[in-house]
Amino acid sequence: MENILEVKDLHVTFDTYGGTVQAVRGVNFNLKKGETLAIVGESGSGKSVTTKALMGLIPKPAGKIPKGEILFGGKDLAKLNDKQMQQIRGRDISMIFQDPMTSLNPTMKISKQIMEGLIQHQKLSKKEARTRAIELLRLVGIPEPEERINQYPHQFSGGMRQRVVIAIALACNPQILLADEPTTALDVTIQAQILELMKDIQEKTQTSIVFITHDLGVVANVADRVAVMYAGKIVEIGTVDDIFYNPKHPYTWGLLGSMPTLDNDEDQLVAIPGTPPDLMHPPKGDAFAPRNPNVMKIDLEKEPPMFQVSDTHYAATWLLHENAPKIEPPAAVKRRMQGFASDHGPTEEGEKR
Amino acid sequence: MAKYIAQRIIYMIITLFIIATATFFLMKLLPGSPFNQVAAKLSDAQMEILLDRYGLNDPVPVQYLKYIGGLIQGDLGVSFQYNNRAVTDLIMTRIGPSAHLGAQAMVIGSILGVILGMVAAIRHNSWVDYTSNVLAVIGISIPSFVFAGLLQYYFAVQWRIFPPSFWDGPEYTVLPTIALMIFPMAICARFMRTEMMEVLGSDYIELARAKGVSNNKIMFKHALRNALIPVITVIGPMTLSLMTGTLVIEQIFAVPGLGEQFVRSISVNDYPMIMGTTLLFSILFIGVILIVDLLYGIIDPRIRLTGGKK
Repeated sequence: MENILEVKDLHVTFDTYGGTVQAVRGVNFNLKKGETLAIVGESGSGKSVTTKALMGLIPKPAGKIPKGEILFGGKDLAKLNDKQMQQIRGRDISMIFQDPMTSLNPTMKISKQIMEGLIQHQKLSKKEARTRAIELLRLVGIPEPEERINQYPHQFSGGMRQRVVIAIALACNPQILLADEPTTALDVTIQAQILELMKDIQEKTQTSIVFITHDLGVVANVADRVAVMYAGKIVEIGTVDDIFYNPKHPYTWGLLGSMPTLDNDEDQLVAIPGTPPDLMHPPKGDAFAPRNPNVMKIDLEKEPPMFQVSDTHYAATWLLHENAPKIEPPAAVKRRMQGFASDHGPTEEGEKR
Repeated sequence: MAKYIAQRIIYMIITLFIIATATFFLMKLLPGSPFNQVAAKLSDAQMEILLDRYGLNDPVPVQYLKYIGGLIQGDLGVSFQYNNRAVTDLIMTRIGPSAHLGAQAMVIGSILGVILGMVAAIRHNSWVDYTSNVLAVIGISIPSFVFAGLLQYYFAVQWRIFPPSFWDGPEYTVLPTIALMIFPMAICARFMRTEMMEVLGSDYIELARAKGVSNNKIMFKHALRNALIPVITVIGPMTLSLMTGTLVIEQIFAVPGLGEQFVRSISVNDYPMIMGTTLLFSILFIGVILIVDLLYGIIDPRIRLTGGKK
């Protein structure tokens, strides 16, 4: 399948009073047409900043992209100015935000908020835009769209608002949908509905989705591929099977180990010790080294390159070097890996649905 | 909606009644009598006749009941200092310049303030922001009569651009309006900047950007309206400060307005005049509060719905 988006060595920095924060430090990935790539990682790992860079929404002048390319449709988005990005935002790439309670304008009718993009990008008349907006509301599963369209955001529930946000994002049939934790602020039953809706829509429209989350349960549900981010870098990337059944990076082990499961009778969850590094002064060597229980000398000296595990699976850890000692994932992680396998079996899971 | 307004008007009448009562009894505590200035020339018997004639010999509660009785019929009594002219009449001849000055200062001041605050927020941490910040602090902390004096000195005496005082055409309104509007302008600018900064950092502005909406549309269609909601809150207190501001400003610029007359009535114990003007100011203030509440509903749909519920 063709790559619709290629991100090469992306760096994003923020100037603050205390110094320059290196929020994203060389991210590489590509996105294929119609696939869902999940980016996971803890708070501050740079996942949101990465998507904002794709949208050209890094707050200026504090935020900068000093290095790297974002190749989309033959253009490097990192080099475009704000006017040129306005043409792309909402039309080719759109975004779903985390909190539906705050992401709609409280003083503007839903109709206007959906129609705005249509009128801007597709040059539709008001009437055409309205018809299309009603269609969109129907598509995202809002009942009685003809009436609901004239209401204000406060007349919608949280789940319904997120549907409206999705409708806004889908308005111009974008090629890429960036979803920044779209289900985090919703309760679990609504979460499932929204995830179903997104999968449904992707099937109909063949949109590529970048799905940011820290919920590994959601990842297993929606993603084709997973990128694990830590301290502004992708430390492991692979298919869902690669990451869940054959994780290689100790940080991925930590994430999987701290994920609650129903079928285990463990008394406590494993937590990753320590805190993420200060990105104003990123550590030398592997950024995860200070929290890695099996840290090696080289981890503190030199940054690991991306080692290839398989055609689809890459991880940046010295453990994959041929001279490295054989270190097995912790027992809790192994149990989980087996658990996933016995529950579904890798082949079934690979089908996503 | 009509029901809501009717209800509010009933509350307003009750409030006015309480204000009238409180002012009446407080006023009676003022030392001296309305006839202090002429007292020396009058004999005791003459004085007695005068006091009798205006009902000032009655016990205070009786005077109060008589006054309220007149008030209900729309009669504010007669002024002691202006040869028995009706208070209503006197207020009517004086209200023009005051209303003109107040409205002009209010409208220009708040619009300029909102623009200044918006620009400061959009260009925050730039020289525009710092300049507007300094101007706002100066406007808030220096009283209007200081500006009045400075304006008169430079614009009227030194450069002779505008007339220094009196009330004789549009050019006469310029200096008092500027002196009066600086405070509301500064307040509006401060509020607007804070609110605008907050709104511009909100998720729905980011979503609008993500839709590809241009910056100008984001400012005027998305941000301005939301940022105005809290700014409207200060219009009430601002009107109050304008009213008290006019008292001084009218004196300085010799504007024949209500404020100037009000100050004089207090110094000569012209009871009906004090009552009449106080009630008028109260009505204005309560009216502005009502308008502010209605404005909320127009600007913010969330409030409109609860306000309109039957």
